[in-house]
Amino acid sequence: MKIAHSTRNRLGFTLVETTVALGISSIVFVAAITASIGLQKSFNAIDNFFATHMQQIRIIDYLSRDVKRGLIVTTSSDLQSVSITVPKYIIQAGDPEAVANPSLIGTPRTPTVSYSRSGSQVNYGSSTSSVVYAISGQSILRTENGVVTTIASATDQLVPQWTDVELANTEYTSTTVTFLPIFTSANATAERSGTTVCATAYLRNRRRG
Amino acid sequence: MNQPQSGENANVLVCALCTILIVSMIGGSVLLNCATRYNAASNQVRGWKEALHAAEGGGDIAYAQVRNTVMDPSHAFAGWTYTGGVYANTPVTFGSNLTTSSTVDIFYYDAWNGNPWYRIRSRGTAPVRGLKRTGMDDRMLTGSRGDSLLRKVDFNYDHFIAAYGPSGDGTSKAIIPVAQPQITRRIEQVCAPITPFEAAIKCIGTFYGLGDAAMIDSFDSRNGAYYFAALSPNDPHYSDSRSGNVEIDTAVATVRGWIYGDVATNGGTIVRSQYISGTIDNNVPFSVERYYLPTNLPLPQPSPAAVTSTVIITPPAAGTEANPTLYLLSSLSGQLTINSFGSQKTYVALHVTGDVSGSIDTKPLVKAKIFVDGNMDVKGRDIINESGIAANLQYYAISPTDPSTMQHININPPGNFAAVFYGPGADVSINGNPDLTGAVVCKTFYANGNVSWHYDRELGLEGDAVDYRITSYVEDIR
Repeated sequence: MKIAHSTRNRLGFTLVETTVALGISSIVFVAAITASIGLQKSFNAIDNFFATHMQQIRIIDYLSRDVKRGLIVTTSSDLQSVSITVPKYIIQAGDPEAVANPSLIGTPRTPTVSYSRSGSQVNYGSSTSSVVYAISGQSILRTENGVVTTIASATDQLVPQWTDVELANTEYTSTTVTFLPIFTSANATAERSGTTVCATAYLRNRRRG
Repeated sequence: MNQPQSGENANVLVCALCTILIVSMIGGSVLLNCATRYNAASNQVRGWKEALHAAEGGGDIAYAQVRNTVMDPSHAFAGWTYTGGVYANTPVTFGSNLTTSSTVDIFYYDAWNGNPWYRIRSRGTAPVRGLKRTGMDDRMLTGSRGDSLLRKVDFNYDHFIAAYGPSGDGTSKAIIPVAQPQITRRIEQVCAPITPFEAAIKCIGTFYGLGDAAMIDSFDSRNGAYYFAALSPNDPHYSDSRSGNVEIDTAVATVRGWIYGDVATNGGTIVRSQYISGTIDNNVPFSVERYYLPTNLPLPQPSPAAVTSTVIITPPAAGTEANPTLYLLSSLSGQLTINSFGSQKTYVALHVTGDVSGSIDTKPLVKAKIFVDGNMDVKGRDIINESGIAANLQYYAISPTDPSTMQHININPPGNFAAVFYGPGADVSINGNPDLTGAVVCKTFYANGNVSWHYDRELGLEGDAVDYRITSYVEDIR
């Protein structure tokens, strides 16, 4: 008597088939994991690139804002720090006006005019504020009258240049900021230069000093 | 033969598709996350910059009105409101929904010349597009903030009005909702008057002069009386002695005599350069605007109404640079003497609606400005400035309404004098060989004598405003 075998019973996985399937699955799984990790790294790199780029813009914007309202702008000989003298527009605690009338703290000053041999000049109070931008490690610090603010981190090569062009009756600063991205090839110099952001800001005040 | 069933093969395919789907979703979310935050930050940067452009645009609008106060007084601040000494305009919208508004006030009258200094406060607002969310900041360092310290975005309320009040002085604070996320920036600019006598002679048309033996030099009356120091390098006032500048806005210039100063022309060719001590620049175009009677003069005194014989004026008050005692004269053909108010420095203004052919004698403490609608034909001896300070006797030839109308200032011998003349629409002619202290601004210039001309450097601060310049710029960064 012939024993009937069902088709289902005859279709089992052999050891070889199972092994091959497991191998292929493992490869696919590893590929997926690798791709995920790669994407995560890529995400970090892109996010870091964008974030650092925004910090570059922030540095430029900070500098531009202060240079425009500045009375004097000077740079260090290594072009790694900038010192700006700005008018004291807002009355602050300890200022002579504030001592005489504390309610004036936090209010704008009315400008005054003084005269010298070189002409007239506009003053906001009897003193000025000092703002210094400097690189500290991987950060750029802004110090205004002793108060330090970190305006950017992991960004370097702040390169401001101050030029006095009397014939053009103006003065301006030219600033370059670069950073080194996370993903770099062997030529790191080119990688850095590719991130260069430049800006020029003109001093708006006629007074110098 | 075993035939695989299709349902068994689909297992691997589904796994592969799911894997691809998951990986794609991860990738998509990565890009979406990065791009969204980057776009939000970029939009804030854009709004921040545009807000400043708007504020500076508002400053330019106000600056144009300030310039109109001397260049087109009848239309200055037309359409602006004036309350409590402050001009204000209605907000102007331009560009991509940028708005700007400005206020202008006079915060100071110049101590030297009485001209007003204007303060312009303008603010510009730009919308922040995209999502209401912070940008790529505030995770920079623990305890430190990034963009939000620099760029203050008003997502729901105007933070400035809430914290400092509309004027920034702490009054009238209020919670004011904003229609959409926005950034507002505020700047303050100061407009300083430009005075007319920045050179010994400034001529916008043809120029001829002076005589071959003439001389233009300079001094500073704040250091004492004039003496010749232009050839004495060791003299303490030598540096003040070589500012006898001549500026000519055409190429038609015949420059003669010694000039201890700079000479500028607009396309001319200086051939006697050995007689010029300073710089020669033949590429200096400039313009001089028409001159209008100042609008801030007080009401005139009731008398005299004309000077046709000998008249002595003693003002009822000392006055100030910005508020002199004004006399309105239909003609000045007689001899006018102006006394001081007691022993005080006395400020007087005359508006002569006709011609001037008579003499004026100003006493030592008097500072007089004479505004002339017509022509001047006088002798040097008719200009009697007893102080000897040129700034104390200033003649202004008001530009004729019809630009084609000729206007002239003729000064004939004999007589030396100390005075300044501002007539951008007038032909100036000086005859004879006077020793004069002062400055001239004119349409054309002719002088054929051996004049000894001394420019007083103090005149750089003197005179009625003929224009305004921005001299100060600050931003309210709160």
